Parts: sequence; structure tokens; C-alpha cells
Amino acid sequence: MGISPTELSQQDVPAEPEVVKQEIAGRSPVQIALGRLRSDKIAVACVVIVVFFILIAVFAPLLTRLFGVELRAGSPSEDLDQFNFPLIGPPDHGFTWEAPLGLAPNTGHDNLADWLYGARTSLTIATVSTLLATLIGVSIGLLAGFSRGWMDKVINFIIDVFLSLPFLLVALALAPIIVSRFGNSPDALKFWQFTALLLVLTLFGWMTLARLVRGEVLSLREREFVQAARVIGVPTRRILFKELLPNLIAPIIVSISLGLPAFVAAEAGLAYLGIGVVGIPSWGQTIDNAVPFFNTYPLYLYAPLVGVFLLVVALNLLGDAVRDAFDPKTRR
Amino acid sequence: MRMNKPAAALAVAAMMTLAACGGGSSDTGSDEPGDDATFQEGGNAGAFKDESREAPAPVPDDAAEGGTLTVMTAVAPSTLDPTQAYYTDSTAILSDLVTRSLTQYAYNEETNDMQLIPDMATDLGRPNEDNTEWTFTLRDGLKYEDGTDVTAEDVAYAIKRSFAIAELPDGPTYQTTFFLDGDKYKGPFSDKGEYAGVTTDGNDITIKMRRPFSDMDYYASFPAFTAIPEAKDNPETYGQHPLATGPYKFADYKAGSSLTLVKNDQWDPNTDPGRIQMVDGWDFKFAQDTAKLENVIINDNGSAQTTLTYDNVSAASYRQIQAEKERLVTGTQPCTFMWYIDMTKVKDIKVRQAIGYAYPYEDAWKAGGDIVGVTRVPGTSILPPGTAGRKEYDALGIGGVNTDPEKSKELLKEAGAEGYEIKFLFSSDDEQAVAAKDAIVKGLEAGGFKATPIASTVETIRTDRTDYNSPINVRSSGWCSDWPSGGSWFPAQWSGDLVGLEGMPNPANFKEKKFDDEQNRILDELSPEDATKAWGDFDQSMEEEVYPAVVTGYGGVAMIHGSKVGGMANDNVRGMPTFSRMYITQ
Repeated sequence: MGISPTELSQQDVPAEPEVVKQEIAGRSPVQIALGRLRSDKIAVACVVIVVFFILIAVFAPLLTRLFGVELRAGSPSEDLDQFNFPLIGPPDHGFTWEAPLGLAPNTGHDNLADWLYGARTSLTIATVSTLLATLIGVSIGLLAGFSRGWMDKVINFIIDVFLSLPFLLVALALAPIIVSRFGNSPDALKFWQFTALLLVLTLFGWMTLARLVRGEVLSLREREFVQAARVIGVPTRRILFKELLPNLIAPIIVSISLGLPAFVAAEAGLAYLGIGVVGIPSWGQTIDNAVPFFNTYPLYLYAPLVGVFLLVVALNLLGDAVRDAFDPKTRR
Repeated sequence: MRMNKPAAALAVAAMMTLAACGGGSSDTGSDEPGDDATFQEGGNAGAFKDESREAPAPVPDDAAEGGTLTVMTAVAPSTLDPTQAYYTDSTAILSDLVTRSLTQYAYNEETNDMQLIPDMATDLGRPNEDNTEWTFTLRDGLKYEDGTDVTAEDVAYAIKRSFAIAELPDGPTYQTTFFLDGDKYKGPFSDKGEYAGVTTDGNDITIKMRRPFSDMDYYASFPAFTAIPEAKDNPETYGQHPLATGPYKFADYKAGSSLTLVKNDQWDPNTDPGRIQMVDGWDFKFAQDTAKLENVIINDNGSAQTTLTYDNVSAASYRQIQAEKERLVTGTQPCTFMWYIDMTKVKDIKVRQAIGYAYPYEDAWKAGGDIVGVTRVPGTSILPPGTAGRKEYDALGIGGVNTDPEKSKELLKEAGAEGYEIKFLFSSDDEQAVAAKDAIVKGLEAGGFKATPIASTVETIRTDRTDYNSPINVRSSGWCSDWPSGGSWFPAQWSGDLVGLEGMPNPANFKEKKFDDEQNRILDELSPEDATKAWGDFDQSMEEEVYPAVVTGYGGVAMIHGSKVGGMANDNVRGMPTFSRMYITQ
């Protein structure tokens, strides 16, 4: 027979050890991760670059006014010479504050204005797509992992279907359909092209996260605290969002931080292929236009390239750092 | 002639790329583009005939024997069947190098343009008094690449074959309009009966017409008027290897990607007044990347020295090649770009003229990647430079380039149509087309219009444009001469009979009794010489009295070649290099 606690003599209970006042207590995993991030110099540099681009995107209209340039204001007949090259600024006439990045050949549009607004397009599309994809991925992953039986099978099948669809082909096929459906009204076209781009990026971006979350949930749901919650009759929704989700924060944040640069690159790639939003400045479209000018007017090509490169590299390195910080197994 | 080469590669602002002809390296010494003599003189592309040109054609002094010329292009010919060849690239390759026709065009160095000269025939054909019967006589000593003789029956068969539009679509179709029973005869494949329109007698071929056809000598230069032996013809595969009668024959043809030509040893220079056979072979590479091929040619290293292209040079590369003008061939092509205004929708002439004043000519051209004065030449007459009987006039008084938004607003106000909505198509997946669209919208809005661009795609814009139900009221397109006379222009696009036909051959829906009567009068009553002049007057009165089309410039050509390519000039009938007289320099 065991000894019930009440039978223990007072002396047997060890005295409360004198708590040494140290501030180690009460650090959540997120706090630990953030602490690690802060001491990672590369991560800090990347954060600075990303914040810089976010500021550009947010204040694009203000910045264009600050530089005294205007979006899509070129007049080919007045701003360009007989070879369709700009009359001011690079590549022929040196630097001028009138057009710090020069004017685009053929159209005479200001490159800086296009670049600033291009950052905005890139970040908007990448952010919205990432958030939507994360939302879908997490909810479907939770659902699939927690439900047993047929629901799990159906969801897994859907994930497999989406994984097997060729992303580029669907995007290429969708573009002309939207044009022929909404081509008659310029405004509707713009709206739907934008929406379709978001949809395509989102629809092809959620599956990996869904699988990841499902896997995590499969292992978490057998743990004691979940079992306990079920035993005492906590509703499923509450178990999902209050018990399971907080434990998934790390993989989700990692997935977001690695997904962002992928979406930035995908947006530029699609715009380069001519699938994108007509009439909205985008780095990918500028690159597409600038490729033939690579040796006569390199700056035209380099500006958007550097934009995409910097943003993607910074986001990627940041993503890696975030993953390292959240993963208890990595020790630098 | 079809304004476009097939395949999409270079769609320019809803129009097509055409191969134009460059008028030889311009040596005028000025830096201004468009200072080429042919632009200012109005040219006379092929309007001259030279029946007395003697065979053999002279070989230039600096020509070296041997070597291979490489031709790189971003497009690809849709077919190389002589009967179906109607695009500028396929007709030039076939006629200049492989399949000889009854007549041909040859470059004249003194006038810097093309002349119609005899080819397989001994002369340019002998019409009867009212041009309803034409007789051509074949030369002696003509042979196919396999050594068999070319007979008059073979030419007659080729002519009959051109009626087989169901089996061999997309070729030129004037024979159905002008030749005897052209509307009934369906070609030798489905119609086993005799065709009475073409008869042979020894070396003579006689073609009978159902209405006077004074331009038969020009029409006989099409590859469709070559010789095809009936026994060796299979309409489905003949285009893979048409039997050569010219200086080169097919060695290897991969449709859409490459064509290799080698010397045809059966070709006798003493029977041909227009072609030479100096290089050993030709290597055509189709569907190449524009930026890549331009760089290869501009850098001029190794085999690039004997490489050329018939694509228009892009704005990016034009400047680089300016330093070596002798490697740039510029000139005109007989093509006019137009904004056809739908006459059934825009009924007020003041509104139509206002469109002409508001159209941002230079802005739209540059934004679309054209080099003003080189690949796009401002103009006002519908007939392009180089057409016989062409009359220079200016219906709006703005020289076809000086946009005048104030005048446009004024006219709209007079018409009580301020804010009139103009709807036009553009290819939303072509960045340059989009840029040109933006420029046009800006220009029209400055001129007091409301501009509604309707999106289409490179793939579908042609079908959308020729759809009567498209919600557009202007159509951007163009036309190129089939031969340098008004007779290949107005009856083909501006006849009221064409309104409502499949494919929208009359893009402006232009149907005015007065002008239809005038066309019939010119076609049926006037002598060829009078008709030539009358077409010029017709052009002017139509634009001045009705203004159904905004002329948005003529096509120009700027082709580049390697430093060892010799004899490359501007075939200003087609807008292609003069393949037939090209060689490698010593």
C-alpha cells in the first residue's frame, strides 16, 4: 500500500528551497527565438533590408513625389531621340536628378517611379498570397491531422491533386481565359487579373504547409495534454485552436518566412512570362522589357534585377535564420 | 500580299511584322534615319518592267565562289508549298532561290528598286487587246533538279493546282476572280474535268480571263506560277520538298525550325536573267530568339560574318549597328498601316477626322518599339510609296505625324460628339503592344475622346479583329501590295461587295455607292495606263471625302547582316533581302 501524502510527517516534506532571484523564468519559445535572432547579425541585416523595401512599398507615392518623378508619364515623341533612347539621363547623358534611374527606351516612362511602384506590387502580391496560403494551409492541415478516417483521406487526396497540377501550365492557361472573359472592360480586367494572380499563387502555395501541419498534428494529438482535453470534454474547435495551434507557431512562421521570397520570385517570373497585371508596374515586366537592352542600356535591366535579387536574398536568409532560431535542435 | 509573316514571335502593336524591303545600304551620309532616297522620292517599287534583261545575270566582281550563307529569323514560314506561299518570307525564299515562276523581280542597282523581268518565260507575257488572254512562252533548256525537262504542261498544272483552295488553302486567290471559270473550277484534285482557262501549245501557255486582267505579268511572278510535274505531286507533302527549278534545291527541311538549301546542278544560268549561284548553300534557321540573333550578327565573329536576318532590327540594336552602316539595309516596303474606322458605327465624318487628328502617331510608334523613319515611315496616302500611280496628298494637313488634339476637340464639338468613345483592340500579353495602347489612350483622351481599349491576346487578336460582332469601332491593321498597282489595293479591301464576307476583308465596312461605281469603272472601262492613274485619284477622293481610315504610316525595313555578306539589298516588293543576287565577298 502506498503512503498517502497526509500520512507523511511534516519533516519529510522538503522545505521550499530559497528561490534565487534570477530572471530566467517565464520565457516563451517565441521569446527565446527572438532573442536568438537578435544576436544573429545576418538576420538583423536582412531585417533592415526587408524593412527598407516595405517602407518603399508603403510610401511609393510619397517617394516618387519626393524625387520629383511621375509614374507612366513618358511622352515618346518628346523624351526620346531618333533611336528611341532617352534624351536625358543614362545611358547617354550622365546622371540627372530629373530621372535618377533614367527613362525607359521606347516609352519614355521614368524608371525610378516604375521601380518604386514595382516594389509595392511585388510585396503586396507576395504578402497577400503568403497570408492566404498560410491560412488555407494551416486550417486544412489541422483538419486533416485531427480528423481520422475518411476526412483525412479526402483532404490528402485534394492535396495530392493540387500538388500534381503543373503550376506554370495552369497560370499560362488561365491568363488568356481572363483576357477573353473580361477584356471588354479595362477596369474589370485589371481587377480580375490581379485577383487571378493572387489566386494562382495562393492555390499553388498552401499544400506543403498543410502537409507539414498535418504531420505535426498527428504526433501532437496523441500527447497527454490533448488526450486530457478530450477526456474533460473540450470542444474540438477549442482543442484545435487553443491546444494544438500554439504548438505549431514555429513551423508556421518558418513556412511564412520561406514562402515570401518564393512568392516574390514567382510574381516576377510570371510577369516576365507576360502573365500578370497589365498596366501595373512590376519588376518582372520591366525585366522582360529590358532584356534586349542589356548591353546598350544596362541600368534599365539592372535596377529591377537588383530589386528582385536583394529582396529575395534578404527574405531567404531571414527565413533561414528564423528557422534556425525556432528549431531547438539547431545550435550555432 | 499578307502583311504578316506567320507565327507570333514579333507581334507589333496589334499589327504584324512584315518583311519589308530595304533599299540598299543607305550611303547618304546623314545620321537622320529615313533619309534614304527611296523614302523621299516616293520610290517606284517594281513599277518598272524590264523585258529585255538578258540571261545570264551578271556576277559581281567582289563575289567569292563557295561558302554558306546563314539566315536567322525569329519567325518561321507557315508553308513552303509554292501554291500556298503568300507571305513575304515564303515567297521570297521560294521565288529567289528554289522555284522559278513565269516572271520574277530583279534588283536594279541604279534605281535602287525592283523591276519585273522575265523568268521561265521568254518575255513578260503577251496579252490580247483587252487583256482577257495572256500568252507566255517557256525558254528552252529548263530542267528540274532531277534532270527532267520542264514542260508547258507542268506550268499549266501548277496554275490549275492554285484553284484547289480546299486542299491548299491560304495562297493568293486572284485567279478565282479574274481567270476563266475561276468561280467554278475547284482544282485538279477534286475536279477531274478539264479546265478550259489554261491551254498549252508547244512551249506556249495561254491563260484566258473572264474579265480584263492587266496585271497578269505581275501576278505571274508568284511561286504559284512555277512548274510542278503532275506525276510527282502530292498536295499534302509537296511543300516538304518542292522540285527545284532555280539555282538551289532543298536538302533538308524541318518545318518551323530549319531549311538547308544546296546547289542545284541542273540549273543553267543561261536561262535565268535574274539569279546567280555563287554560294554553295543556304542555311535558314527559323524561330530564333531576337536578342540572340541580333547579338550574333552585330558582334560579327566567325560564321556570323556570313549571317543575315530579314527581321527588322530592334530599337535596342539599331543604335549599335549605326556605327557600321554598311551592315544595315534600310528601305521601304509597300505596306500601309491603318486604323480602319468602322463606317457602320462611326457615321459622322467629323468624328472620323477627329480620330485622325487625335491619333498620337509618333508616341504610339515609339512606344510600340518602332523606329520612326526607319521601320515606320509617316505617310498620308493609302497607297504606299512604290506603287504605280500613287498620288501624294494630305487629307488632314498634318503630314501623317503631327497630332493636333485641339483640332480634334474642335471637330468633336462641331459634331456634338464630345467624349465620343473609341474602342480598339490590343494584345494584353505583349508588353510593347500594351505600351502602344497606353500611348494611344493618352493621345485620344487629349483629343477629347473617351478611349476604351479592349484586351485580346497575341494568339486571338486576328480573329477578334475580323469578327463583325467585336465591340470595337476601329480596327488596327494594314495591307501590303501584291503588285505595285492600285488594282491590288482597293478592290481587295475597299469594295462594298466584300462587306459581310467571312474574314472581314473590308475592315472598315466601307460601302459607298459612289466609290463602288468608280471602282467598277476603273476595272472595266479604263486602259491599264489610265487605271493606274485613276487609282491614285480614287485614293485621294476616298480619304478626302469619306476618311474611312487613319493612315498610321508605311512599313519600313532595317535588316542587318554580317560583314562578308554581299549583294544584300532591299527587295522593296516584299520587304525581304534580295536573295537571288547575294553572295559572300572575297
